[in-house]
Amino acid sequence: MAMGHRRVPEGLLYDRNHYWVKVAGREASIGLSAHGQHTIGDILYLELVSPGAMIRKGEGFGSIESSKWVGALIAPVTGVVLDTNREVEASPGQINVDPYGQGWILRIELSDIDELKLLMKATAYRQWVEEQINREHQEEGAI
Amino acid sequence: MKMVWRFLDTGPLPAANNMALDKVILNSLRCGQASNTLRFLEFSPPCALVGYHQAVELEVEEEYCHQQGIEINRRITGGGNLYLDEGQIGWEIFAHKETRGIPRNSEDMCRLMCEGVVIGLAKLGVEARFRPKNEIEVQGRKISGAGGTEMGNAFLYQGTLLIDFDVDTMIKCLKLPINKFDDQQIQTFRRRVICLREILGNLPPIPVIKRSLADGFAESFKIHLEPGDLTQNEKLLWEKELPRFQSEEWIRGKRPKLQGSSLSVVDWKTRGGFIRVSVLLDPTRHRIKSAVITGDFLAHPESSILDLEAAIKDSSSHPSDILKTLRHFFAVNHIRISGVEPEDFHQALCLAISKAGDGQGQPLEDAGRMEAKFP
Repeated sequence: MAMGHRRVPEGLLYDRNHYWVKVAGREASIGLSAHGQHTIGDILYLELVSPGAMIRKGEGFGSIESSKWVGALIAPVTGVVLDTNREVEASPGQINVDPYGQGWILRIELSDIDELKLLMKATAYRQWVEEQINREHQEEGAI
Repeated sequence: MKMVWRFLDTGPLPAANNMALDKVILNSLRCGQASNTLRFLEFSPPCALVGYHQAVELEVEEEYCHQQGIEINRRITGGGNLYLDEGQIGWEIFAHKETRGIPRNSEDMCRLMCEGVVIGLAKLGVEARFRPKNEIEVQGRKISGAGGTEMGNAFLYQGTLLIDFDVDTMIKCLKLPINKFDDQQIQTFRRRVICLREILGNLPPIPVIKRSLADGFAESFKIHLEPGDLTQNEKLLWEKELPRFQSEEWIRGKRPKLQGSSLSVVDWKTRGGFIRVSVLLDPTRHRIKSAVITGDFLAHPESSILDLEAAIKDSSSHPSDILKTLRHFFAVNHIRISGVEPEDFHQALCLAISKAGDGQGQPLEDAGRMEAKFP
């Protein structure tokens, strides 16, 4: 996967909603993968829960807007929000520019370490994304 | 065999009722309690709507709206401010994300959703086309805009079709990238939108317009539309949700802290004529909210300046990003303007942005003009 928008760094964990999770002890940073931000497009607005809030795996923790589309941010793991990226809230396009770096979204204290086992490593995520892209290409023209 | 979608025509409703119903139907689809749905909606009384993430105070002339009995509300979908009176038709697609052929990419999805309107307009003898990022235009002028949202595995894409539109009231009730005391700018802005009456002269009856649109969507999605009604659960939930969508808490939200809005107007002289750029900037988020570009230069294709305005709407206001956008736009669309280069637009836009971002941008009604000459 040479294309920038399909970059999948090793050492991070990924879910099927295209979030990455970077674990450091009981803490984790969360952001959108390069493919995730590419699918969403040019991000204009971001609205996040506040520090101290509990986010739960599979549930919303904010909203995101691009190309006149409002989407829900869905937590890849459960935990208490320690910090949100204020720079990204003010300038959400940073997620498009640097999804794995300056474009991180929030940092949490993990509530259930076992949930990490449900996430994909880079190789598995890369393969899954390829499958999704191939499937979509096959469907093109179906409508 | 064609997939069957529900067809709803809910008639004229107040803004809050329409906004609440959007959420109810979307939720119904998410829960598997409804099939994919096409809804037509109308608004009465007239209303000014802001996009989900927008701040009312930055987008709507509230005092004017209150004086005129124009309702103000917030959509659950994205996009910008808009004005709707009784003469317009709204269209909405509610569908499961896994519906065969629905693109995952939001821009591709918008193009597909608008395709039904383009086909429907063709059935009325109107040649329309999709204009990125989210518009449908006729003769280079906007006739429909669209935006969307999602809930779980379901999504809503909605838009409006201008049938017989009162542009002057829209100009008065929305905050727009023009100086409203400048007649020339107002005239220019009027020419940026178009309605069916202006195109066709005599309007077909509304049911005929709706039928054409419905046929357009049916053709575009290769579906069969079955007229239906709200389910009992939807009616109950609608009643329950309505107070929230009527509340100030919903309408106002808490959004202004990370947004701003500043207007500036700049004249820039080039070898090919002068360019007047009017920019509505969000200096907090470093975004060009919208821009109006006029001047005495000759552009080919004729609609290219309106397309350019659409291309820079909601784009980054950083000088390098603007230049990249302009060069790409000129190259891809084969734009030719004698004596005017992409760099001229770049200079004019940067000057306007600098003026707006430095705090020189003025309250919209008082926006002044700065002139600069080509060396």
